[in-house]
Order: sequence, then C-alpha cells, then structure tokens
Amino acid sequence: MREYLAKRIAIALLTLYVILTLNFLIFQVMSPVNPAKTILDPRFKPEQRKMLEEQFGIYEAVHIRYAKYLVSLLTWNFGYSFLTRASVAEEISFRLYNTVILLGTVLVATIIVGIPLGVLAAAKRGGKTDVFTIGSGLFTWAMPVFFIELLFLLLLSYYFSRWFGWSFPSSGMLSNPIPAEPLAYIADLAWHMFIPVIALVIGGFGSWALYTRNLLLDALTQDYIVTARAKGLSERSVLYRHAFASTLPPIVTMITLSIPGIVVGAMITEYIFTWPGMGSWYLGAMQANDYPVVQAVLYIYSILVIIFNFLADILYGVLDPRIRVGMRR
Amino acid sequence: MSIFSKEGRKILSRRLSGFWDEYKRTKVGIAGAIILIIFGGLAIFAPLLTPYDPIISKRLAESFAQPQWVTILPHNKDLPPTQDIQLYWTAQEESPVPIEWGKRVALRFEAATTKQIDIRLAYNFTYKYLPPLSFNLKFTLNAENVTDMTYLLESNLINPKGDQLNLWRHSGQADAYRLIEIQSTEYWWMSARGYEPGVDNVAQIWFAQQGQYTVTFIISLMPKTTTSKMNLKIEDSTFNIPGLIHGILGADNEGRDIFSQLVWGSRISLAIGLLSAVIATSLGVIIGVLAGYVGGAVDEIIMRIVDILIALPVLPLLLALVFLFGPNVIYIIVLIAIFGWQGLSRVIRSQILTLREASFVECARASGASKTYVMFKHLVPNVLPIAFASLVLSVPGAILTEAALSFLGFGDPRAATWGKMLQSAFGFGAFSNLAWWWILPPGLAITLVCLAFVFIGHAVDNIVNPKLRRRR
Repeated sequence: MREYLAKRIAIALLTLYVILTLNFLIFQVMSPVNPAKTILDPRFKPEQRKMLEEQFGIYEAVHIRYAKYLVSLLTWNFGYSFLTRASVAEEISFRLYNTVILLGTVLVATIIVGIPLGVLAAAKRGGKTDVFTIGSGLFTWAMPVFFIELLFLLLLSYYFSRWFGWSFPSSGMLSNPIPAEPLAYIADLAWHMFIPVIALVIGGFGSWALYTRNLLLDALTQDYIVTARAKGLSERSVLYRHAFASTLPPIVTMITLSIPGIVVGAMITEYIFTWPGMGSWYLGAMQANDYPVVQAVLYIYSILVIIFNFLADILYGVLDPRIRVGMRR
Repeated sequence: MSIFSKEGRKILSRRLSGFWDEYKRTKVGIAGAIILIIFGGLAIFAPLLTPYDPIISKRLAESFAQPQWVTILPHNKDLPPTQDIQLYWTAQEESPVPIEWGKRVALRFEAATTKQIDIRLAYNFTYKYLPPLSFNLKFTLNAENVTDMTYLLESNLINPKGDQLNLWRHSGQADAYRLIEIQSTEYWWMSARGYEPGVDNVAQIWFAQQGQYTVTFIISLMPKTTTSKMNLKIEDSTFNIPGLIHGILGADNEGRDIFSQLVWGSRISLAIGLLSAVIATSLGVIIGVLAGYVGGAVDEIIMRIVDILIALPVLPLLLALVFLFGPNVIYIIVLIAIFGWQGLSRVIRSQILTLREASFVECARASGASKTYVMFKHLVPNVLPIAFASLVLSVPGAILTEAALSFLGFGDPRAATWGKMLQSAFGFGAFSNLAWWWILPPGLAITLVCLAFVFIGHAVDNIVNPKLRRRR
C-alpha cells in the first residue's frame, strides 16, 4: 500500500510540474502575444506595474522568468485582471462559490436519481426499468449537453412566458436587488437554478444509471455471488450486501472524478444561462483578452483535476482491499 | 500473415464477410448504419440537395420564416410564401410612342412636338395570403442620349380597393444608369410617405386585403424643343414579397435557408469528427504498440505521459489554445486528436503484452525479422479490430467536442458546422422569436449522428472484443 501511495504522490507532483511548465510554455513562450502583455496592461497604475514586473520577472532572462512564474503560481499570485484591475486571486473564491453552488447541486441530484435507477435496472435485468435505463443512458450520452440545456431553456423560459405569461428566468443567478433574508435568498437562488439543474440532471442521470447498472451486472456474474445464493441468502441481501458493495470502489472513484468535472464542465452551462461562475469568467476573459484571468483559471482547473484524480486513486486504494493489502506480482 | 499477400487477402475477405454476417444480425448495428448512410448521403450530395447557398443567399424570406409545412395546421393556412414577382409590364392603352414592353421596357423617343407624352404601364397579380411584413421593388433604370428634355418616372402600387401608394418617383434631365431598389421598411421611404418608421408597417397596411394588386409604371416625357430625344430602358423589374414561410426548415434571422445550412453543415461536422477520430486512433495504435512491444524505458515514459495527459482538463485547455493560436479548422482537428488517443493506447498496450508471447511472433523473430517488421506486419493487423471499434466509438466524442467549441464561439468562423448553427441561433434571437426550426434541427442532427456511431460501435465492439462476448 505504501508504495502505491508513494507512486501516486509522485505522479501527482510530476503532473503538477508539467502543468506549471505547460502553462508557462503556452502563455509565455509559444504564445503569439508578447509575454509582457500577458501580465501587464497599459491601464495599470505604475505601482502595480512595478510590483508585477518584480514578481514575474518580466524583463529578465527566460530561466529567471520561468522560476518566478512557477513561484507565483504556487503562491497563488496571479496578477491583476485587465478588465477589473483587481487582484485575480480575490475574485476566484467568489466565482468558484457560484459555480460550485450550481453544479454541486446538479451532481448531487444526478447521483441521487441515477445510481438507484442503475441498481434497479440491474436487479430486474431485461425489465422495463432496464430498457428505459439503457435507452435514456445512450440517448443522453449522444445528445450534446448544451443542446439539452438549450431545449429546456427554450421550453421553460421562452415558451412558458408565451403560453402562461410567467416563466423561469432565462439568465442570471440572483434577482436584482439581492434578497437579504436568508430564506428568500435561497428561494431566489433555487428559482434561478431551476432550468439548468433540471436540464443537467435529465441530461446526466442516464450515464450514471447505465454505469451503475453495468458495474452491478458485472459483479453479479462473479462466482462469489453464486456462492452467496447457494448459501441461501435472500436475493436482497445478495444484491445489496455483496454485489453492490463490490461496486462501491468504482462508484466512489467515479464520484470523486466527477467533482473536477463540475468546475470544468460548467463553462457551457454558465455561458447559456449567464451564470456568474468560473466558466463564464474564463470565457469572458478570453473575449476581452484578459490574460491573467485565463492563465489563473486554467491553472486552477488543472490543479483541481490533479487533486481529485489523486484523491480518487487514494480512495480506490483504501476501498479495494486487494490494493490495500498489496498485490504481489 | 501479411495482409498484402494473395493468401492474406483471401483470409482477410473471409474474416470481413464473417464479421459482416454477425453484424447484420444486430438490430442496433443496422439502425446505426442506416442513420449513418442517410447523413453521409446528405453530406456527399449536399450541392445537389440544396437549392440555395447556405451563407450567401440572404433574404430568401422574412427573418425567422417558419418551415413551409406548418401550413398543415389550420391557423397557419394563409401564411405567405416568398413571392418573387417578375414584372412583365404591359401597356394600358395604345402608346403614342413606339415602345417595347414586357420583361424589358425600351423606348426610343424623338420629339415631333413639344407636347408632353404620358405612357402608362402596369402589371397585375393576385395576392391571397395574410399580410406580409415587407415588400420591395427592384429594377434597372437606363436613360441614354437625353437631349433637351425632362422625363418624369413614377411607380405606384394599387390595392384591391383602388387606393394608390407611390413607390418611387424620379425626374431627370440627363443620362442615368442606376439600379433602383426600394424597401417598404426603409426609414426615409416610410417617413416621406407619412408613415412612422419602427411603428407602422406599410406592408401590413397595404396588403391587408386578399385580391388583385397592380403595380404601375408611368413615364412622362416633356420635350423642350422639337429635336429633343432620349432612349429609355427599364429592365429586370421584380416586385418581391419576403414570405413568412419558407423551405423545409424555415429561415434564420437574415432570411437564409436553414435546410441548406443543415445539409452543408453535415459535411464539415462529419469531416472534422471523422478526421480527429482517425488521427487519434492511429496515434493510439502506434503508441500502444510501441509501448507494449518495445517495453522497458520507452514503455515507462509513454505510460507516464499518458497519465499526465489524462489529468489535463480538455475543454479549457482546448479553448485556451484556440484563444491563443486562432480558430483554424486544422488546429482544432489536431488538438482534438491530441487529447483523444490516451485511452486506446492503454488498451492496445495490454493487448500487445499478451500478443507478444504468441508463437507466431516468436517464429518471426527466430527467422530474423526485425522488431519494426514484427510490429507493423504482425502486431498492428492483429489489433486492428479493437482499433476499429475504438475509432467508431470516438467519433461521437470528437463531434461533440467540436460542437461545443463552435457553440462557444471558438470554432473556425469559416466552417459552418452544426455547433455554429446553434451558436447563431442562440446569439441572433432564435429563442426570443421561438424559432424552434432553427434550434431543433442542428441539435437533433448531432444527436442522431452520435447515436448512429454509438450503435455501430457497440455492435462492432460486441463482435470484436473477447471480454464482452464471454458475458453472454
């Protein structure tokens, strides 16, 4: 187990290093834009410029710039946004919060709907639930997520207002003015979240259900299940205590791996619904040539993926006794 | 056995027909194949199937014109299709001056006296639909050799009730060669006739009734001396009423045909998807074979690289690269491919690890074959079935990635893909105008094509992948 851990840590660190270097290469070396222009903007005040030049080593040789760039990324110093002239690092927490609220809800809801459905489908293989699961799983996998969102947006916002006179909001996260009272705030948030959440859950439960179903079916064909049945255990006990338990490691891994997907996949959703999260920040920064933000967000995405991949590996090692004990070659 | 020798080819064709026999039996595989043939047909025969150019032909109908078949519903019965009325002018009464009329009006005037000459031309047409939102009149005016005289030209519209609306008026004393185009929604034209631009709709007011409409053209010639003369030609006169219904899939915000856009879009979308998938699969096979067979340090390095690449967030990185280096189709294909080969290389590698112990490999090596020869003539052909399954299954991913890129606005602006259609729909008001005919077709097309590949891929995978076969 210890060598497993050590190996995963080494890979994570190596990947981190590669990400940092890649970031540097892409934005500072290979980019067609003058590297100084990716940190400094003519509109910055002189004090800001001086500080940034110091921190990023703008006018020094490549290797010094490289070292300073790595250090600044690792110390969470991303410079200042060209658009807002404010520190990039400050806005991150605000944007991240918005994204996580929306897509965290989506992930939880999708899992709550999808996994039990998958279990049911595997338990009654060939039945209606099963067919429905496979069908919807395939269909929603093939349909582009943003198309599902567009359809729901069209229906729940535009058609509703044509048919009924009221509709769910087509954009934004909160109304203006933001309700002060916590209950009203939550209600307002939920009101604005309704369309994206519904669209994403309906678009996403299929693949979770299908994945769980397949895992469970694979587990059910194992020999130990035959043993369990032969022992006379009830079908329910066989299903839940044995088969499902054995699918937990991959499912937990899947959940852990989906978490960075929350942040990363938010981009399109936030674009469609004008949700002020990380994704729309990233896109907006690219439209406005706001390089510090682009570099920072890309870096954060990569870090998140590395961290959660690492966590997933560790969790899998912990949950799967075969790895915990250590497999002999 | 090489696939290039005669015996090899016989075996290959036997294997292929065996494969096809099994494939034919899967319902799913056939469904997928049919869908793919339909879309492939659309893509290949695009120029023949589309009457209009998807990008250039604008104003074929009114903005957001609905598809023609909505007239099935009773309340849509009288929606006007686009009318492109060619004006074949006819003279109302005997003309005092010899004049050629019809599609082309030409007259040669030589004054005998200084008396004013009036010529009245007209064209009748029936309008039996709901009132349109606009209309326009177009013709070429050519006045030559105008000597010592004034001419006054005028065009009017007369509705079934007999009311007359002046469309255009011009008086001149000199040569003129102009293309005249008047729009019923144009600011100065409307205000000159007493209508409020942005508030009134002239077309709705004047075409409120169904019935007989007349467009007239009045030529008044006023010679100053007895030697005045001029030549006058009026050509290519059309009275165009953009329709509220159009084509198989309606029109977009600029009046372009959506069906043409969909069909032409299939070319690019399919091409990008297939190319990226092919490149990614080739890379996966080559790298997988290398890692598996050569082993050792090369294997370790390659597998570390794969591990690292898998940890990269694809879409943001893709966007950043397109942002920096420009949205070019080639870049996009290459980038999608670069992020697509990792999974396959792992699978191929494990296959190779098994295969390299096989006896035929040992034979070949014993006969003195080099490692490269073994790799390419023996190992690669043996993993081709798995590679093919992977290829088919990775096309949907490539198409979806490209669609997402284009939808966000980072696609090649010259490539009119389905993702781009959705982006235009989203950005140019399809939603507020409830233009479902612009939103649904591209999305459904993407879904169907991806489904087709998934079906085919699963059918192929079930036949080719030994692990899956065991579960049955």
